[in-house]
Amino acid sequence: MLPTPQTIRRLAVLSLLLLLPATVHAHSETGTIGGFESGFLHPLTGLDHIAAMVAVGIWGAYLRAPAMWLLPVIFPVVMAFGGALGVLGVTMPGVEMCIALSAVALGLMVALAARPPLWVAAVLVGFFAIFHGHAHGTELPQSANAMTYAVGFVVATGLLHLSGIALGLLVHWPWGRILVLASGGAIAMLGFGFLFGFIRA
Amino acid sequence: MSGRPTATGGWHSRLYTVFVALAFVALPASAQAHMTAPGMNQFTSGLLHPWMTPTHLIILLALGLWLGQNVPLRLGLPFKVFAPLSAAALAFTTTGWIPGVPQPILVAVALAAGAVVALELRLPPAAGAALLAAAAVAIGLDSGAESGTPWAIASTLLGTWVSLGLGLVNIAYYVSLAAERKKKWISIGLRIAGSWIFAISLLMLAFAMRRGNGEGGFQRQNIQHPTSNIQ
Repeated sequence: MLPTPQTIRRLAVLSLLLLLPATVHAHSETGTIGGFESGFLHPLTGLDHIAAMVAVGIWGAYLRAPAMWLLPVIFPVVMAFGGALGVLGVTMPGVEMCIALSAVALGLMVALAARPPLWVAAVLVGFFAIFHGHAHGTELPQSANAMTYAVGFVVATGLLHLSGIALGLLVHWPWGRILVLASGGAIAMLGFGFLFGFIRA
Repeated sequence: MSGRPTATGGWHSRLYTVFVALAFVALPASAQAHMTAPGMNQFTSGLLHPWMTPTHLIILLALGLWLGQNVPLRLGLPFKVFAPLSAAALAFTTTGWIPGVPQPILVAVALAAGAVVALELRLPPAAGAALLAAAAVAIGLDSGAESGTPWAIASTLLGTWVSLGLGLVNIAYYVSLAAERKKKWISIGLRIAGSWIFAISLLMLAFAMRRGNGEGGFQRQNIQHPTSNIQ
């Protein structure tokens, strides 16, 4: 039985789609686009980073303005400082432990609906941002385009904050408040999992 | 069985057509992974240069954000400082005395501009002029055409100059349109963008310093003007 024109069209579309991954991954981690891709994916491929970044956004939204906006301004700046230390080869003790602790601490802040003074929140977030940045800086692929790697990594981090803020803004509804507090608890539990090695980031 | 769309299957057929067209759109990307500019004229090549060089682009973006952030928009300084100094620096590249600008200098300019935006500073005119002057000279000296006939080089540099000026004014104008609405979230959004630029620049500076230490990891960012490819 001969294939129908419709079947041929479907096969043609499918075979064309097979070409797409080759386009995307043609130059992994090299060149301008490869560097951006690598940097953008870096924060998204570590569950510990994702948990902490989202927690920053949720907590900021929970604390409301100006914390909601101040924390996402502070975090990338301080994180870049930590990243610079990592790039320059400055060693820091307990980086992975502090990253796991950041998920625990920030998750607990959300889960317990903590409302410390703004400067305390800023110092806490800034402290942990150094370790996240250091990890990103030391793990920079040698072949990646440094400029676009930095752009991708900062943008991805910012978008994680924004997604956290979006989640945190649900606190205006009673059911949303429960969801936000539960999210904080889940992030803290994840953090404990990373800390004690039950979960691999 | 006919391949013609039926009354009920017409949208399926159109969907397939769109799908196939989109899939074809993806194909040329493989071929253009390494940018070449065959047939592109020198002026166009110059126009594109600031937008294809990440450090230049980020400086323009930061300066545009800063100018637009301070409403009402004032374009006196860009016209009096940025335009003439960038023209002078571009012209100076034809002497060949300065092969390019070290990346840390370009990144330092971006870092300063990003900090100004993040802190929402209203700089005194002298400081603002100094920032614009540093940016104009750094970008201009770093945008020299590699080779080509005198006409090709002149066309390329003219394209770059036009692109720098128009790009800066456009970014500033559209940012000011948003900033004039006096919404808090717009102001904060601009500051967040400034903090991202600052963070990216700080990392870039570290990369550049590491390269200075001979550890590699930093590739030249410039997309060279392809005047040498143009006959």
